[in-house]
Amino acid sequence: MRTCVITGASSGIGRASAIMLSQTREYDNYALIGRNIKGLEETAQNMASDINVYIINADLSTPENLPHIVDEIAEKYGTIDCLLNIAGYTEPASIFSTTYENIQATYTINCFSPFILMRECAKYMKKKGGKILNIASTAGMSPRPGWVSYASSKAAMISISQTLTEELAEYGIKVYCISPGRCATNLRKKLAPDEDPSTIMQPEDVARIICNLIGEGGNCIDGQNIVVRQKIK
Amino acid sequence: MYSAILLAGGKGTRMQKSVPKQYLLLAGKPVIIHSLERLDELDEISEIVVVCEREYTATITQLLTQYNIAKEVVFALAGQTRQESVYNGLKKAKNSMVIIHEAARPFATINDFKRLIAANSENALLGYSIPYTVVEGDKKLDGILDRSKLINVQLPQKFSKSELLQAHEKAFREGCKFTEDASLLFYYEKSNIEIVEGSNYNIKLTEALDMLIGEIIYKEYIARRR
Ligand SMILES: NC(=O)c1ccc[n+]([C@@H]2O[C@H](COP(=O)([O-])OP(=O)(O)OC[C@H]3O[C@@H](n4cnc5c(N)ncnc54)[C@H](OP(=O)(O)O)[C@@H]3O)[C@@H](O)[C@H]2O)c1
Repeated sequence: MRTCVITGASSGIGRASAIMLSQTREYDNYALIGRNIKGLEETAQNMASDINVYIINADLSTPENLPHIVDEIAEKYGTIDCLLNIAGYTEPASIFSTTYENIQATYTINCFSPFILMRECAKYMKKKGGKILNIASTAGMSPRPGWVSYASSKAAMISISQTLTEELAEYGIKVYCISPGRCATNLRKKLAPDEDPSTIMQPEDVARIICNLIGEGGNCIDGQNIVVRQKIK
Repeated sequence: MYSAILLAGGKGTRMQKSVPKQYLLLAGKPVIIHSLERLDELDEISEIVVVCEREYTATITQLLTQYNIAKEVVFALAGQTRQESVYNGLKKAKNSMVIIHEAARPFATINDFKRLIAANSENALLGYSIPYTVVEGDKKLDGILDRSKLINVQLPQKFSKSELLQAHEKAFREGCKFTEDASLLFYYEKSNIEIVEGSNYNIKLTEALDMLIGEIIYKEYIARRR
């Protein structure tokens, strides 16, 4: 029995990934962590029917409880083999309008909580190996005026992923980092309210890449910032 | 089943660092953790006896939790000499067979331990040929040694606990000092001690330069293991 932990599965890229991955039968158990329980239940209904889903109500803006949640998942299923850190938060604002609360919440949801989840899940993966995938963003790779907290938190995620790829290689734990470009989700709507979502990538496009990376077998593109961007639409 | 005795009592004065070498970071984690993780993975080992200074037991206990080391770990106090440290560790060990290892050798692999355990003889050491010439002498050359007959003694080593304890007690009574346990056991008991082929990656971190070499060994030899 193999277990996969996913954050951000209540909508967008996380939902599409949970549904698509469940169809590969790569994992038997899924722990979906989030606040929007209704959204997570809808995701679960669309996942393959012969897998186990455990929905956990947790807010990533308060990471203190995460070690306990990871222990609970490991206790319930016996193993943790994969972690997908997909949840993300943004509150775009200029330097003068960016409050401490904004940058703190953004970093907590986008970096600190994913880091704690990596650390705690890796404790269970240490002996048999495992896979971790983090979502950064193309926003973390170039200056984005007006997005200082979001873009810099995603830059941090790229660095966290690269550093931990090296620290965890010895245990056979692979760390992948993807940086999607514009993708039609609620979060994107906050960043670009007037954009026509039908002209940009769809969550399934990104989910397909995620399933390829963490699906069957190994591949050698861990530790790199993998850009997932549609050049022409 | 084996008790592993992990020697971690060194003060690291040769490194000229304020922290003993077993707690310095190597490839991002404390040197002692490299060995503890290896020992934790071996089914043949049921307990780990860490021999260290009293003031480091709290540090090690915290590391054991942080790194999720599942095996039972007990502590023995480091002695004035390495020999005394081993003796203290032996007295704490529960099993009739022991594996002695030292925290300053972070590159002994699972395979090294397994081959040592699989050796036919109860007592065995990892040994490797000496790639350079060694002569006798202090300020002037006193004698030539035949390199082909010499072995670089490495750790880990395995022993029958009762045999090794007996030899240690004799050495204690006679006030004899040895730099490692295979020599001590051989001297007193003339025991049959098998030499299992070691590796030149299994270096002992002694001087500051070894930490630099260690980073390379880790990257090329340990991290790429899987
Ligand atoms: N869309 C893009 O153009 C784009 C581009 C690059 C990177 N990304 C990244 O892709 C990831 C997924 O986002 P998305 O585009 O799919 O947007 P989305 O549909 O809005 O999904 C965001 C997810 O994050 C979760 N989340 C937010 N705050 C949370 C909190 N405090 N606690 C727990 N979960 C929280 C939400 O779950 P709950 O509501 O259940 O809490 C939701 O499932 C994010 O990391 C985002 O930064 C998106």
